[in-house]
Amino acid sequence: MTSGAPRILIVDDDPNLLVLLADQLRADGYEIATARDGDEALRRLRTSWPDLLIIDMMMARMDGLTLAREIKAQADLPIIVLSAIDAGDSKADLLEEVAEDYVTKPYHYPELRARINRVLRRLGDKVPRQSLVLGPDLTLDLHRREATVGGQVVQLTPTESRLLYALAANLGQTVTTETLLARGWAETEDADPSYVWVTMRRLRQKVEVDPNRPVHLQTARGVGYRLTHHPPAGPNAADG
Amino acid sequence: MDERVGEDEARGRADPTSRLSFRSRLTVALIAASILPLAVFALVVVLIEASFIGPNSDPNIGRLLLFAAAVIVAAAIFFSYGLADQLSAPLRHVVAAMDRVSTGDLSSPIRVAGDDELARLADSHNRLAGDLERRNRELRRILAAIEEVSPRDDVDALVERTSTDATSAFGLIDAVVVMGDASIIEPEEVVPGVSRPLRATLRAGGEELGVLLGRLPATRRWEPADQDLLDLYASEMAAAIRNAQLFATVESQNAQLLELDAAKDEFLRGVSHNLQTPLTSIRAYAEQLDLAAPDRRLGIIAEQSERLSRMVRQLLTVTRLESGALKPRSEVVSLGTRARKAWEALGADDVRFDVDDAGGGWLAIADADQLDQVLWALLDNGVKYGERTPIHVAIARDEAAPRLRLTIADRGPGVADADRDRLFGRFVRGAEPGTDSGSGLGLYVSRELCRAMGGDLLLEPTLAGRGAAFTIVLPGEPGEEA
Repeated sequence: MTSGAPRILIVDDDPNLLVLLADQLRADGYEIATARDGDEALRRLRTSWPDLLIIDMMMARMDGLTLAREIKAQADLPIIVLSAIDAGDSKADLLEEVAEDYVTKPYHYPELRARINRVLRRLGDKVPRQSLVLGPDLTLDLHRREATVGGQVVQLTPTESRLLYALAANLGQTVTTETLLARGWAETEDADPSYVWVTMRRLRQKVEVDPNRPVHLQTARGVGYRLTHHPPAGPNAADG
Repeated sequence: MDERVGEDEARGRADPTSRLSFRSRLTVALIAASILPLAVFALVVVLIEASFIGPNSDPNIGRLLLFAAAVIVAAAIFFSYGLADQLSAPLRHVVAAMDRVSTGDLSSPIRVAGDDELARLADSHNRLAGDLERRNRELRRILAAIEEVSPRDDVDALVERTSTDATSAFGLIDAVVVMGDASIIEPEEVVPGVSRPLRATLRAGGEELGVLLGRLPATRRWEPADQDLLDLYASEMAAAIRNAQLFATVESQNAQLLELDAAKDEFLRGVSHNLQTPLTSIRAYAEQLDLAAPDRRLGIIAEQSERLSRMVRQLLTVTRLESGALKPRSEVVSLGTRARKAWEALGADDVRFDVDDAGGGWLAIADADQLDQVLWALLDNGVKYGERTPIHVAIARDEAAPRLRLTIADRGPGVADADRDRLFGRFVRGAEPGTDSGSGLGLYVSRELCRAMGGDLLLEPTLAGRGAAFTIVLPGEPGEEA
């Protein structure tokens, strides 16, 4: 993250909402820029990149999905989608693939702010946009929320892929349960470490060939978890 | 085959002469025919000798005659057998060839020299076998052509193929399929020495689709069996064409339905967006104003706009559930936390609310957004129909399975017996008048959502001192480090 207040670009064609949200976020110390449609957003991106974008899914001139894809083609900027459509809708599914998070309208401002903060926390994590091959049995395609386990493609939930992002950014190193908690859930969700434990157990069921003898998702008891190659790859893979 | 052998044997026993082969019978006949005159001659010789030559004649002559008779008899048997064998040989050829035909070998013709009845028999057999083989070949081509046909084929391509396949399978000069009313095409007359016109109606399910017309080279014969085969082919292809036509209709209707469905989805998205966006502003501004200068009326605006949003969402959820487009994403959630949050969102501050969490740290596996819809609907019902009596939420582990149960109970009048069975239907409201502020979809949507998440929603039995009680059942997992 750059120094100073996080910079957010809000794209929405409803002026009431745009002004309201900008005011609320400015009051909480964010640096806000706004755009009324996709073209204006793309013009703004030519001069400076924000830390995060909030995009309305339904816009008259260029819909949120098209804009999000345009933006992702230029840079891996995190995007939070605002939508009147429930997640689980076919179109929302497509958007979720490119977006970092998905907030349903009418949003509660504290909820949205918590999601923004969670997404900002993961800025700086360097995760490959291509496949991450962790061994013959496991390949992660986090940008598609998919894992390939023993040749079978497995779908990951948004939370599962967020945790794997945090682990993949620190491959081979233990990531503390607290960090995982902060990456996987927003403060307003009142999550506690048991959320991490249960999600990890479920994740292991998905990505390990033998979940009882995990080789990729290792527990550091009482500390956290780490994601590893198996069999170990390269000379530096053994430590950590 | 064995059965037929058995039959032959039975017939053999009934008629003893047929036990002998034709060759043996011919041999016997020839012997009889050659020996009988000889025997008569010998008798005459013996009689003459006895009466004219007298007893003192040379006895050697008698012996010589007897010997000569024996030699002649032996020679007669020998030649008779040879002759019978030669005479019956072509017959045996014919029998063997027919045996081959009956086992399916049509390729080897019988060769019988000459121009007699047997040669003609062999000729007609050869012709018969040739015809059979040709029709077999045609049948195989027809079957191959029919097998290749799929209902997904283009109708025009299928019609085209019907004529080309008919041309090659039946060895026609040309063939063409004319679709439409076949009766308007006049049948052509058969003129000897000129290629012969053929036709077969494409008939499927009592409906005439068209007609297959073709010409046969003048050198080829055309028997009723050939026409039968052509008719069979025409009706099979007609069925295939009909199927393809029906399939194309279904496909285009399907495409229309998909288009309509997509349009409906797009429409719903639009409606939802156009309702939720202003509602978001209304609620947020009301909350902002309420914060700056607290006013109960602003709270009501915020609550009611929230209620409106929920109802729009419910309607959207119903259509999604019915089209199977709603896919819950199972994440880890704490039921107690979720229930408290849903209660806060409801804003029923004047109603007492408590949560008794006996889940032992277990977490539910559910889609948080959808669980939120369910909890909100049940709590809203509890407040509305419980007549603002205290709401009690109890969370417990299921004894039998890794599941969690969350029961929401009020102390109101409970569910009337008349309502129990129809409560989870669509657009159903309680029997009490004046409580119709909902969409009537809450319990229906809630149960469907719970089931989509691998759980269920149950109405608990009526207990003394308790009003209506609903239990959400969801998959759960222990909240232990793993």
